[in-house]
Amino acid sequence: MADDAAKLDSACEALKAYNWGADKNALQPIEDAIVSTSSDAAARAALEARLIAVLESDVSRDAKDYVCRALAVIGSTASVPSLATLLAKEELSHMARFALERIPSVQAADALRAALATVSGDLKVGVLSSLGNRGDAASVTQIAAALGDADSKVAAAAAAALGSIRTPEAAKALAAAKPIAAAMSIVIDSRLACAEAFLAQGKMEDARAIYMLLVGESNPKLIRLAATRGIQTCLEQKR
Amino acid sequence: MNHGTSSTRREFLKTATGAAVTGVFAAPYIITSKALGDDTTPPASDRIVMGGIGIGNQGGGDQGAFLGRGDVQYVAVCDVRKKWRDGAKDRVNGRNKNSDCAAYNDFRELLARDDIDAVHIGTPDHWHAIMVIEACRAGKDAYCQKPETLTLREGPLMIAAARRYSRIVSGGSQRVREDFNNLVGPCWNGELGAIKSVNVRDFGPLSQLCNLPAQETPADIDWEMWLGPAPWQPYNSGRCDGNFGTGGNSWRSYVDYSGGSLTDWGAHLFGGATFASDVCELQPTAAVFHKADGQLGAYVTLTYPNGLEIHHRRPDQLKPEGPQIDGGKIQIHGDGVKRDPKPAPGYKGGGGIHGDFIHCVKTREKPFRDIELGVNTMVALHLLTIAYRLQRTVKWDAATQQFPGDEEAGRMVDRARRQPWFLS
Repeated sequence: MADDAAKLDSACEALKAYNWGADKNALQPIEDAIVSTSSDAAARAALEARLIAVLESDVSRDAKDYVCRALAVIGSTASVPSLATLLAKEELSHMARFALERIPSVQAADALRAALATVSGDLKVGVLSSLGNRGDAASVTQIAAALGDADSKVAAAAAAALGSIRTPEAAKALAAAKPIAAAMSIVIDSRLACAEAFLAQGKMEDARAIYMLLVGESNPKLIRLAATRGIQTCLEQKR
Repeated sequence: MNHGTSSTRREFLKTATGAAVTGVFAAPYIITSKALGDDTTPPASDRIVMGGIGIGNQGGGDQGAFLGRGDVQYVAVCDVRKKWRDGAKDRVNGRNKNSDCAAYNDFRELLARDDIDAVHIGTPDHWHAIMVIEACRAGKDAYCQKPETLTLREGPLMIAAARRYSRIVSGGSQRVREDFNNLVGPCWNGELGAIKSVNVRDFGPLSQLCNLPAQETPADIDWEMWLGPAPWQPYNSGRCDGNFGTGGNSWRSYVDYSGGSLTDWGAHLFGGATFASDVCELQPTAAVFHKADGQLGAYVTLTYPNGLEIHHRRPDQLKPEGPQIDGGKIQIHGDGVKRDPKPAPGYKGGGGIHGDFIHCVKTREKPFRDIELGVNTMVALHLLTIAYRLQRTVKWDAATQQFPGDEEAGRMVDRARRQPWFLS
């Protein structure tokens, strides 16, 4: 045990000097500790605290990248504040999401949702996608607000996130969306995804309502065919 | 073109389209993209118009297979490496005896072309899901190299996109049908009886974290696009070169781009094992981790809903009661109670797995390696990977696509993609 602790101390020191090209074998004790603390909450919390300390210190991008990967596996609510501060940083935002997206606590979702007000452009695309990947139904209102964004990538990411969440509220927001033209295809795709979710839940009328609105001549042929097939499925399941 | 029926593909597609729009055509596959035609565009010819995305190494092999077919009109290539792109373009132009082949750095430009019916995708694994889904949204059929997915979450989204837009999407392991006939025959003809267990041997390591130092980025690669949804890392030739190597000098060695040899060769071997034992339409219920015991190394057993066990590198070999067949890399044992034979599924059309795909693009039948079957194999491999990484047993619920009550494993279902790329 003492030997393991010494190795972990050494690895945490190596992490502080870690950079692309450094010996990653020096970090193996951290990898081992991630596995060995699986059923030892106190030891895992201690490991998390050490990693957070590194994240908050003046270390390389690669070292912070490594910590975020580890926190994606073992991070808890305790990691959220440190990770949240990185969401607005161009170079670190993705890896902060890499961890936050996988941390199940509501505080992680809260942090991502709060970041929507402070980031823009590609960083906002990333935050929206992470909320969608989490299926965070509590974020529908904030995500829907981005549907009208002048940046087509942001609007498309908002639509995609709602298509991942697939609640009735998400479907309503998509139905009401008036995005710029470049984002429209993802809005429609997400509406189809919502209809499929309703079908799977046995909500045939809700699904059919979406399909009926997409079957019209104003939509591309591929969409009309998808909607037609959806209507067919609704009819078959009703029988 | 004569497909051995009384109607041409074009006539079939016209009929299918009309029926679908009026709501009386209930088959799962309906129509190709451009073959619809409209007021301003004439219907497509009877040849399948194709483009290729990710043309180096295996993608180049796929290109050769499609390019050599008389029923394919190959018109466009896409690769983020100029040397691959130019070489692939030259091959097409040489074959077509013209200079018409278009070359793209960005796959979205290729997918935006209305005249392309189908694409083949041979990029590193971290791009597969996004590209397949975008191809479906663009109305293209897709042949995607294995391993089809990098994470568990990707598979259902790829299947959903294929079904939503009635696209033909084929996985890309030719070995599943071609390498294991010595096993498939005795299994499907009932000789072995009910298959009880399988041992899959002989394939290599998990992918690992990449920490190669920065090198100067060559002018002939769009490094940001090569990385795409993967975490940003500096250019190093060992990060992106190579194809099959897993010793540190190939993208397949590294976790951001690949599941390593376990998912690369695993796609072939577990695809073959699940096909031979007739569980390729199922997903495992658990990956049971067996700790190393003395001289015997650790291994993992996948359990299936029908009671079948598929071991990965079980070190003590199978020594069961009842007949068994040792096919080298795969060993299968049954209960010996002879069963009625069943015909094993095979390729449709001629020309191997590529011909199967083209045949299905024309007829709208499901290809031999329909994306759902490829995904089922990948689920098995991802479960193996997660059990090895966590060094413990994980249970899987195929209905919800989750690890029930297992938050730690649940974190490994997916990973955040680098902006501006996302998956939905």
